[in-house]
Amino acid sequence: MIFTPRIIVTVILIVFFSVLLQLAFFSQMPLLGSVANVVPVTIIALGLLGGAVPGAVSGFCAGLLIDSALGITPGVSSLSLMSAGYLAGRWREGYDIVSSLVPPLLTGALTAVAAATYAAIQLMLGVDAPVSLLVLREIAIQALLGMLLAIPTYPLIKRMLRSALVDDARPVRRKAPRGILGMAG
Amino acid sequence: MYRRQVRRRRAVLVLLVVACLVLISSHFSEGEGGPLHSAQNGVGSILAPLQDGASRALKPFRDLVNWVDETFQAQGENEQLREDVRDLRAELTATEEQLAEGKERGKIARIAARDPLAPYSAADARVIGRSATTWNQTMTINQGRADGLEVDDAVISGDGLVGRVSSVNGGSARVALLTDQGSSVTARVLDGGPIGVVGAEVGAADDLIFDLIQGDAEVKPGATLVTAGINDPKLPSRYPAGIPIGEARESAAGEQELSQQVHVKPFADMTNLDFVSVLTGGPS
Repeated sequence: MIFTPRIIVTVILIVFFSVLLQLAFFSQMPLLGSVANVVPVTIIALGLLGGAVPGAVSGFCAGLLIDSALGITPGVSSLSLMSAGYLAGRWREGYDIVSSLVPPLLTGALTAVAAATYAAIQLMLGVDAPVSLLVLREIAIQALLGMLLAIPTYPLIKRMLRSALVDDARPVRRKAPRGILGMAG
Repeated sequence: MYRRQVRRRRAVLVLLVVACLVLISSHFSEGEGGPLHSAQNGVGSILAPLQDGASRALKPFRDLVNWVDETFQAQGENEQLREDVRDLRAELTATEEQLAEGKERGKIARIAARDPLAPYSAADARVIGRSATTWNQTMTINQGRADGLEVDDAVISGDGLVGRVSSVNGGSARVALLTDQGSSVTARVLDGGPIGVVGAEVGAADDLIFDLIQGDAEVKPGATLVTAGINDPKLPSRYPAGIPIGEARESAAGEQELSQQVHVKPFADMTNLDFVSVLTGGPS
């Protein structure tokens, strides 16, 4: 990805609006006994399009914003989202996205990784209540919802960042030289 | 060139991980008024109006999705509700007989005379944000210090207790739900039942645990739990007495089978809250 000031502002806006959308929309809308989380989906998309460093940095910033908005321990969401963004970027740097199924499947898997990382950090920091095995079900549902959310989200973000993508730069089609009266010369 | 890129990537990763660890440890080591908490409150104050606006604008879409989800749920619940209606009808008949004899009337009069919620005033608030994980069950409401809210004020919905105010800014406040891992409330079983502590079970959004129950009295399924509201000046309860919490579902042996643990279904639907009331003020 080629980073220009305009692209950096676009990425910041994408991260900010995904956090706002999560807090004000998706978190208040229970689905299958859990809630869809659009933030890791966005971060994974940024990692897949931009690479490991942009994925990790945007995950860190999104996590910090979420933790500040909700007043929970700062750094926990950052670590989990950063891991998802970094791994997505490493995938992009190592392999080609050969099928349109790869981004949703990868998003599902990495959303589960982010949720599992969050759970592991919470357990390490100490939990004041018994932990039910239903947490595993929650991680599985979040992965499934993340996979479904990636179907519209990944192409949308790709479209927004198209001008910065090296692989996706469209070759300029040259017009065939034409002579007088529009006849091909 | 490639080696330099790898080195840069690793350096950024290490830097970010270290930053996260520093933030986490600083948050635990500093007090409530520390710089990190203040910065968080500042960001929260800035985001609250944006969240409020986005929440209002997106409410029709949310309602549409909820309607579809609830329609599917309603199909499954239909059979259960029919059974409940049959049971309730039988119960209603029995209650009406008791009322005729004047017994229930006396009980209701005694409860109304106590009215422990009278000294409090209720501030209505709209839910403008929620956490996305099962580990931190918090929500943000659009009322704050300017509306008279204070930390530890009880938050209720039309069905019962929802949680308490965990932090408050000028125009917004964060509420720790009953299902949050850090929440606990002293509760008693109605009609002279034992007192214990109701806490959360991480991962189960519609399940609470009634634990540390005093005495040997058995808590039967269907028993109603309300806040105990202990008036000990050394350790006063955060919640006023008499707020409905939930209904006992099933009893299970506690750790090492020394105590009784009861699963409780909260009356308030924590997953689907739009409006809540905050009980402010109270007896001085």
